[in-house]
Amino acid sequence: MATTALKATARRLLAGGVCLAAAGLVAAPALAQSITVVREVDSDRYDPHRSTARAASEVLFMVADTLVSLDYDMQTVKPGLAERWEVSDDGKTYTFHLKDGVKFCDGKKMTAADVVYSLKRWIDPATKSPVAWRAGEVEDIVALDDSTVEYRLKAPFSELLYQLTQSFAVVIDQATVEKLGGDFGVKGFNGTGPYCWVEWRPRNDLKLARNPDYNWGPPIYENTGPAQVEEIVWKIVPEENTRMAAVATGQSEITQYVPYSTLNTLRANPQLLVSQSDAAFWTYFAGFKIDREMVSEEAVRQAMVLAVDQDAIAQNVHFGEVEPAHSYISQAALDWNRELDDKLIRTDVEKAGKLLDDAGWKMESDGFRYKNGKKLSPVAYSFAGSTWQKLMEAIQGDLRKVGVDLDIQAFDATIAWGKMATQEFDLFGMSYPYISAGDALNLYFRSSNTPTPNRMNWKDPATDELLDRGKAALDPETRAEAYGKVLEKVHQAAVWIPLYHEPMKLVQTKKLAPVKPHNIYGCGLYKGLDIKFQ
Amino acid sequence: MNATIEDVPQRRSAFRRLFRDGAALVALAVLAVIVVAALLAPWLAPHDPFATTRQPLLPPVWNEAGQWAFPFGTDGQGRDILSRLLYGSRLTLLMGLLSVAIGGGIGMVVGMLSAFYRRIDPFIMRVVDVLLSFPAILLGLAVAAIFGTGVTAIIIALAIATIPDVARVTRSAAVVVMGQDFMEAGRAIGLSDATLIRRYLALNCISSVFVFLTLRFGQVILIGAALSFLGLGAKPPSAELGMMAAQGRDFLFFAPHVATIPSLTIFLIVLCANMVGDALRDVLDPRLRR
Repeated sequence: MATTALKATARRLLAGGVCLAAAGLVAAPALAQSITVVREVDSDRYDPHRSTARAASEVLFMVADTLVSLDYDMQTVKPGLAERWEVSDDGKTYTFHLKDGVKFCDGKKMTAADVVYSLKRWIDPATKSPVAWRAGEVEDIVALDDSTVEYRLKAPFSELLYQLTQSFAVVIDQATVEKLGGDFGVKGFNGTGPYCWVEWRPRNDLKLARNPDYNWGPPIYENTGPAQVEEIVWKIVPEENTRMAAVATGQSEITQYVPYSTLNTLRANPQLLVSQSDAAFWTYFAGFKIDREMVSEEAVRQAMVLAVDQDAIAQNVHFGEVEPAHSYISQAALDWNRELDDKLIRTDVEKAGKLLDDAGWKMESDGFRYKNGKKLSPVAYSFAGSTWQKLMEAIQGDLRKVGVDLDIQAFDATIAWGKMATQEFDLFGMSYPYISAGDALNLYFRSSNTPTPNRMNWKDPATDELLDRGKAALDPETRAEAYGKVLEKVHQAAVWIPLYHEPMKLVQTKKLAPVKPHNIYGCGLYKGLDIKFQ
Repeated sequence: MNATIEDVPQRRSAFRRLFRDGAALVALAVLAVIVVAALLAPWLAPHDPFATTRQPLLPPVWNEAGQWAFPFGTDGQGRDILSRLLYGSRLTLLMGLLSVAIGGGIGMVVGMLSAFYRRIDPFIMRVVDVLLSFPAILLGLAVAAIFGTGVTAIIIALAIATIPDVARVTRSAAVVVMGQDFMEAGRAIGLSDATLIRRYLALNCISSVFVFLTLRFGQVILIGAALSFLGLGAKPPSAELGMMAAQGRDFLFFAPHVATIPSLTIFLIVLCANMVGDALRDVLDPRLRR
């Protein structure tokens, strides 16, 4: 008897469960206006002036706006919070006329004073922003009236507008910054973006809700506001195959973080769409610490550069989904010097061997080279994690063919940055986003940027002079010429081993209308204004 | 008087019984083949295990796209999996053997001392208890944090993790031996402690410790592979089975052989080691003797 009663109860419970499940299904469409984006890593904070991580920029572009925006071609500057702007003839004064009716997420009106506050906080030494140099040499930034901002420079900085499209130049609310103090961009945020900050659970997820009043989006979007989904959840999923599974099973609607190895499988999935931006301005390279004994010989560096087979790496490690790099920056980047097109870095194993022979590094029976009893075995510092591990092993394999025994030491991302700021390695692996030749070269090859990001210790007055000339130039020809010379110099000195340029690839469900990938700072969704359900 | 001498005829029959156990025999044979293959790796390997080719993720020969030049296919860097497997087994087996030998040796000494000198027994056993409460993986992470990653760090971690178990097993065996009349007699005729421990205690405990270590060998290989899988083990380009499995993880969806072949090898080694250990215990343990 008792068992029958139990069974009946169980059946009732089960039925209840089914009802609940059904209710869940019914309730689902209400939530369908929410999309989840899976990504690999989180940022340490979301303060535009104090984080340089791509993970931070991805969110900042959505929760805040910049004065000017960047078109998909990565070359054309379009209006943002400023509807128009003028540049003085000497290239030192920029006047921005702000759009009317722009409001912060908390409803407060945005004025020129907010723009001035944000930009000044960026360059204020007290903020200790690692990217303050991107603002140029500022004399002053002033609000002429409520809707006009004047940006005065000490010297012309031809890239200023491009730099102002980046997430470091977003406009934030002073009251919120002061109220939250150190918790700004951690516990809260107040910007004028198409989405508003809801909640961040570090290394778990970050929730954004649509800003219903938004109508001042950049003209590169058909829809300039408001956003077309209610909620965006940025979710951290560190394992790459799990991210791929999340997209394939519909747990994530869109992401740029799927392993290249699975893209072909995903392309074959009729429910998914894989799209790609033409601009590939995220470059992977291995840099030499040129004053370390082992790699201080130019011949050794040149041989190592010649030994690495970029085409094979792009094919083997990334299944041909990336562009092999034959220079330090993409040939499609702004101010690329066309004269360098036939002076690219090409693999030549034979020449590499000859260079090492001539330099006195003799091949021994163990297959490695020695000089004065010392083995040619440079130490490489790299990030742990599947991409860099595979890359470093591929480089190691190529170097082995010319008798170089690369000693790879991989570190978890939490300590890798510190390790790479030391002077104890011969080679380091790194990747970086940029918009123009000048952006890339000024960052890495200025003497004043040692020890980081100029980890190579490349200190050359002639380079500095050329960089200055390029930076201050008012016309693209002078810039391209100056930067072309710098590139030729560092190519010749074999300071880096270029590896590949990474195009932006988005994988999305076809339930969403096709989203066009943007490549600004490697943030494929940019402002997220074109994300909508079909 | 001397129990080890009495044991000799028994042990001979024990081995005979071991050879009558068909499953154990097969396991022993498989293990022997793997060990010999690993030892002869430089002569058996068809390719340089570190040489990369431009043919990554080539499937094994039983797949129609496979090539006989690479019987087990190639990995993500285009290296021959068979050659890497041979060299990898070498490193994995060496890792297991060394850590079992070091950990077993230290553990046995500690266990015997604990049984012999009853006064320090509680102290030693509490230390052992503390060590036992640390999972081997955690110990491995700690050791790697101190010594850096590498095969040496893994061997140290595994050896440390082996000590407390062996000390326990040795102690319980040694306590029984300590109660035997011949120990009393040895003391009575004035043998030194060192002689008593070495000639009587050690020789009487060694069979049970040996059986335990055979079983432990499988576990150690498994934990070692796990640590390697987590990236604490061998440095690239050297091959190690756990590391090979970890490298193949990314290709699991479309080139499963890169991960499964080394994983299966680990499985075979551990299974065989456990079966041999089991059989040894059956024939050597007097309580199970029928």
